[in-house]
Amino acid sequence: MGLVSLRRSAGCVLAGLLYLFAASGVVADTKPLKLNTTADHSKFKELQREFQSAPEVTKACLSCHTEAAGQVHRTKHWKWEFLHPASGQKLGKKEVLNNFCISIASNYSACTSCHVGYGWKDASFDFTSEENVDCLACHDTTGIYKKPPGLAGHPQLKDVENPPGSGKITKGIDIAKVAQKVGKSSRDNCGSCHFYGGGGDGVKHGDLDSSLAAPDKDLDVHMDATGLDFTCAACHKGSSHDVAGSRYTPTAMDKGGAHMRGKEDKSNPATCVSCHDTAPHKQDARLNTHTGKIACQTCHIPEFARGGVPTKMSWDWSKAGERDAEGKQIVRKDAKGHIIYESRKGAFELGENVKPEYFWFNGDVNYTLATDKVDKTDSVTRINWLGGSPDDGKSMIWPVKVFRGSQPYDPVNKTLVKPHTAGNDDTGYWKNLVWDKAIEVGMKDAGLPFSGKVDFVKTEMFWPITHMVAPKEKALACTECHSKSGRLAGITGVYIPGRDANSLVDTFGWGIALFSLVGSVGHGLMRIASRRKHEEKENG
Amino acid sequence: MKPAKILGPTLMLALLGASLSASAYDADWKRGRIYYRSVCTSCHVALPVGQINPSSKTMAEWSGYLQADKHAKGKDSVKHYVSKSYRASIKSANKAAEKFADVPDQELLDDVKAFLVKGAKDGEAPASCS
Repeated sequence: MGLVSLRRSAGCVLAGLLYLFAASGVVADTKPLKLNTTADHSKFKELQREFQSAPEVTKACLSCHTEAAGQVHRTKHWKWEFLHPASGQKLGKKEVLNNFCISIASNYSACTSCHVGYGWKDASFDFTSEENVDCLACHDTTGIYKKPPGLAGHPQLKDVENPPGSGKITKGIDIAKVAQKVGKSSRDNCGSCHFYGGGGDGVKHGDLDSSLAAPDKDLDVHMDATGLDFTCAACHKGSSHDVAGSRYTPTAMDKGGAHMRGKEDKSNPATCVSCHDTAPHKQDARLNTHTGKIACQTCHIPEFARGGVPTKMSWDWSKAGERDAEGKQIVRKDAKGHIIYESRKGAFELGENVKPEYFWFNGDVNYTLATDKVDKTDSVTRINWLGGSPDDGKSMIWPVKVFRGSQPYDPVNKTLVKPHTAGNDDTGYWKNLVWDKAIEVGMKDAGLPFSGKVDFVKTEMFWPITHMVAPKEKALACTECHSKSGRLAGITGVYIPGRDANSLVDTFGWGIALFSLVGSVGHGLMRIASRRKHEEKENG
Repeated sequence: MKPAKILGPTLMLALLGASLSASAYDADWKRGRIYYRSVCTSCHVALPVGQINPSSKTMAEWSGYLQADKHAKGKDSVKHYVSKSYRASIKSANKAAEKFADVPDQELLDDVKAFLVKGAKDGEAPASCS
């Protein structure tokens, strides 16, 4: 080896060492540092391994976060049941039914893909198991963690041909990678379930869909990804893994004012008032006179489903069951490619940029359960309904998505029913399109009687709208409500100038206006006549 | 080739690799998503090109496209549209460019790449523009 070559090599090595010295973090300024967490989970030995199942990941999490599973066990996200403190009704996903996919009874393996747990495949699920808590559903940051329907809340870890025999391979996820990159919950985490409620993107709520994963300011002034960029938890503030806010006991009127840092406040932190206080309009204080009767959402959410994702507005199960000439199930789509008919589900109506309906709402939400009697002679069965009146001192006018449908019921027992829909078995309605078999299995699972007869009743559900808050420039204009056929045309019990008329007041007002006009014109004419007379006199 | 001639470059490459792994930037696909949708897509929609969904290409195609760095069939580069200077030029009218004005060029490019590869046709979570 020559001297020149040796010198050249030594030079290269020296240069390399210098580069390594700088780039590897010895120089403080260039050290890669995560600022959004105090722990890089990829550095933890417990997570640097292969996992054969998702509960194994939970065990690893719990080896450090020892209290986490117990905290989750106390929450509605785990229990899916809720005892209403006022009505005494036993509610929660486990108990209620709706007019979308109807009920989870006998459909656990599909529905529990949105449960924060693993293995809830039937009524025997162990709600005391710690390793069955799913940490990743809420703490995945990779966006690859998925829990497909049919696996009872488990993620798919291995490649699977789906459907069998199709040759289409669904890839399994790298769960170790997901575990090593856990972090704070984001809109994507909450949205992986709440954006897809009712069986698809935007189906159920109307004000929650995948467009809120990274929205612009026009869609939501708080979640604007290039602006305030609120996570869900910014408002739905959690404590000990319990998340504030409830569909069963919402806060319709918040008189508590803005929450203060350092001051204990047990009221709902997810209301507008908890940040904006009760007199939020600084530039035009007249608007604050509205805040005693009008929910903020009424003016500040002019339409829902504004992000390009349509929401379902109606679902007619009575139309389900059609087959084509070959006996196969049918799917029909509208001009935009959205499904409006499926043999297994029935007919749908979709809506985008939908104006809400408006109701007095005091926070009480009552439910018709599968144990309650319903009668087809009633025009519509309300599966849930909102309490409220103009004079109870607790109600405000709220924007609401009213979801209308027609769904199966038992005309002999006069109850709504819980059919077995999902499942690749002989009784699952989505496969065999036979109602009586599907309902028999579903009602048996729910421990409820079924006569064997099936009919359909019209139903309604009421969903208060509270997300997709528009910028103030795009809030409702005055004339949207203060006019004869405005948005609040159907609201009773409150006088709305521009909408309401009192003949005595109107006559008096118009009378004054008329007298003023006659007086002004008369006075003007007299001044002109007098001036002319004066000029003629002067001119001789 | 004499051993001395390859010793230096080999050690240099090894050290470079070691340094890259030691300080590898952990790309933020969510930031990439915002930039892609707010800057790339908003411009593509305004121009005749239209939306280009991440799921319209495979992972290999996106990687190859970004490696080749030829935007508009080679008229300019992708890097240009992620650069600080470009962001500065549009930030008065584009909130994403304003928000990420100070992000190093390579980090933002890695973020966008992470989003595109993740959202590719054969990626871990195929994605659309919106």
